[in-house]
Amino acid sequence: MIISRRDLIKLSVYAGAALSASSILRAQAASEDTRVVRVVLDQLPSGFDSHNTTSANTGNHALAIYDMLFAFDSQRVPRPQMIGNWGVSEDRMTYTFALRDGLGFHDGTPVTAADCVASIRRWGAASSAGKLLMERTKDVSKRDDKTFTIVLREPFELLIEALASPSQILAVMREKDANLPPTEQVTANIGSGPFKFNQDLAKPGASFTYDRNERYVPRKEAPDGLAGGKVVKVDRVIWDNISDQQTGIAALQAGEIDLLLTCPPDFYSTIEGDPNLELQLVITGGQCMFARVNFLQPPFDNVKARQALLHLVDQEAFMTVIAPDPRYRHPITSMFGNGSPYSNDENMGWYKKGGDPEKAKQLFKESGYAGERMVILDSTDWAQGDVAAQLLASELKKIGVNAELAPSDWAGITARRANKGPVDEGGWNIHISSWPNGALSDPMGTALLQANGENAWYGWPKNEEYEALRAQWAVVETLEERKALARRMQHLWWDFVGAVFLGQAVSPSARQKTLTGVISTDGLVPLWNMEKV
Amino acid sequence: MAGYVFRRLVSAIAVMAMVGIFVFLLLRLAPGDPAAIIAGQSATEEMIAAIREQLGLNDPMPVQFIRWVRDMLGGDFGTSIFAGRPVLELLSQRLEPTVSLAILTMILAVTVGVSFGVLAAWRAGGFVDRILTAFSALGCSVPVFVIGFFLIYFFAVRTHWLPVQGYVPIGNGIALWFVHLILPTVALGLGFIAFIARVTRASMLEVLSEDYMRTAAAKGASSYAMLFHHALKNAGVPILTVVGISFAYLIGGVVITETVFNIPGIGRLVVDAINNRDYPIIQSVLILTSGLYVLINLTVDLTYMLIDPRIRY
Repeated sequence: MIISRRDLIKLSVYAGAALSASSILRAQAASEDTRVVRVVLDQLPSGFDSHNTTSANTGNHALAIYDMLFAFDSQRVPRPQMIGNWGVSEDRMTYTFALRDGLGFHDGTPVTAADCVASIRRWGAASSAGKLLMERTKDVSKRDDKTFTIVLREPFELLIEALASPSQILAVMREKDANLPPTEQVTANIGSGPFKFNQDLAKPGASFTYDRNERYVPRKEAPDGLAGGKVVKVDRVIWDNISDQQTGIAALQAGEIDLLLTCPPDFYSTIEGDPNLELQLVITGGQCMFARVNFLQPPFDNVKARQALLHLVDQEAFMTVIAPDPRYRHPITSMFGNGSPYSNDENMGWYKKGGDPEKAKQLFKESGYAGERMVILDSTDWAQGDVAAQLLASELKKIGVNAELAPSDWAGITARRANKGPVDEGGWNIHISSWPNGALSDPMGTALLQANGENAWYGWPKNEEYEALRAQWAVVETLEERKALARRMQHLWWDFVGAVFLGQAVSPSARQKTLTGVISTDGLVPLWNMEKV
Repeated sequence: MAGYVFRRLVSAIAVMAMVGIFVFLLLRLAPGDPAAIIAGQSATEEMIAAIREQLGLNDPMPVQFIRWVRDMLGGDFGTSIFAGRPVLELLSQRLEPTVSLAILTMILAVTVGVSFGVLAAWRAGGFVDRILTAFSALGCSVPVFVIGFFLIYFFAVRTHWLPVQGYVPIGNGIALWFVHLILPTVALGLGFIAFIARVTRASMLEVLSEDYMRTAAAKGASSYAMLFHHALKNAGVPILTVVGISFAYLIGGVVITETVFNIPGIGRLVVDAINNRDYPIIQSVLILTSGLYVLINLTVDLTYMLIDPRIRY
């Protein structure tokens, strides 16, 4: 076959036309999407019910479609959301709440006090903050269609904070949904929030679509943290699941998505060098990484061994491998994290730049450690946790500890960490995990900060004196009193070593410059207020 | 032939039963607890225990197995632990992207791969053969994610000609559907082109050395007639086998391609389900995929008769 010059010209024209056609198609799609924002917020929620999970992804979903009675502003001060007026009796034992006007569920029914009462009871049976409230509550009941009361049996000064807790949000559901037991997932996704969940377009594992709730009446205040007016300025927000980070960055560069919540450190310079993109700290507090030891098994049943680990860790070294960019990492010296009103410098003599391996070696010796196997759970599908586990094992080996990694995917870790037995029976000694920095300012609701033995979070620390102080947290009345209490708690915490922090890593988000109004918070991601210019 | 088909179908049921037992045991014996994953990072043991109870995960293993088999025989493949939706509904959502990608990839791979193979065999030992053999070696060796990111960089990020990622259902417009599948098809197809080209070349070389080919040449048959009418038809059985196996493999989901191009197909569904220990999804997908494998293999075996009338069952 002979190919003539004319054939080549024809071929080029056809190829050009084909490629132009694809660009035109994509341009058409883009212009139709000017009222649509596409975001990638880590993984899609694996469940829909914020009452029965502490997952932040489910929290983000619930935040979009449900409304809350109260919510924290950017200073962690609880502000009314669905509540119009509220008051407390002189003896501070009866709280009365009145709903504001204009609240309605997505199915067209109005929000009533009965819905709120049922939701509080359900949430109160499942969440940490809710349980604290219900343990101190005599009755939750409705007065009329728009008013309900909470009657306490003992003082609880954190009641409003508990209702506003962002760690397992009190999503107000329809009474019939809220009457389901908290262990049974509510999948109706009918809330009264600023967005409606589009069931028809829901593709679990791929994308969820949130449509503007045109009947939502926002508060008049400006948006501030999770509080204030929830004004939706676009018609639709699509939450895509892009599991590969490089694909996520390429999609952002090509303009296919507007916001990538977690920008991988390797790509900071790429984003900063792109005239159309920029970095923004959407999650301001980031994650505090820590090593939790098993208090029930040797060697960490001995406080000297726990103190040894505390002295060994060089947070700077850990943060260098976890968060390579120094702008986005910080050491943690307070059990209340960084930047909280309760963060303080009590009893932090252990902190030394570079760590103190000699001291650690000496303390291990004093603890009676004699070269037994020390198992570190290593989550191989969580890159930061994996490198932290490897570095910790290496540092321990350097001072003569017989450290051994137990690699597994995260799902395997979640099962194994529940094992309280010795390492020979599938147990463990060190578990590496992370907690949102913002949650560390709440010792009542944050499971990591409990030290009530076998009822505590994995590792099961026990310290009765500390627990007695923690119980005071709910009854002290002023901020100053609580700050003083925080110092006393921290003094004990670093003595018995509730956890060993590896550092705080914040991950900036990458977004199109045309996307404005993304609200920064210290944990969850509000989808309202965003707009494309 | 009817007896043969019947025997193959009966053996398929046995295969699926064995797959079912194996998968069920493997999942239950592997470490991991869906209740702990549902409950989240800071959940208490009490909360996790309550969810386990509600999901029926505390029941003895034989009870769980019998319940699963009974429901499956009744057409109920269960409900996803996480999505809270019927597994068949989730599968049907994921089937279209996977089947679309599989069909386009096979069209590309068969068209180009067979042509390359025939061409290489026709010019065996020559320059064209060496070029095509080198291409085949490259296509088989370079991982799909390398090709994928290369294509994304040049054809999506740099030039904006094609989309980086995602899938548009065919119901939303055939043009958009096609445009979104070009890059993944090419990335995935290169390996299959190489594979099919190698098999075709080898098979064709064998046939081209047969006496009847020499006879055809002596009778003055054209190159085209020799290659495509006489040789390719006789070299078709191994090629068809490879195409059948490849298609079955593609239908099972291609995790890396689906991940790189963010295509919500069967492969990603299974990987996500494994990460979450979503037992009903993993069990159902593996059972259905194994059934599909058997059916495709059976179809390929029956198709041999169309190509080679000497084959009888």
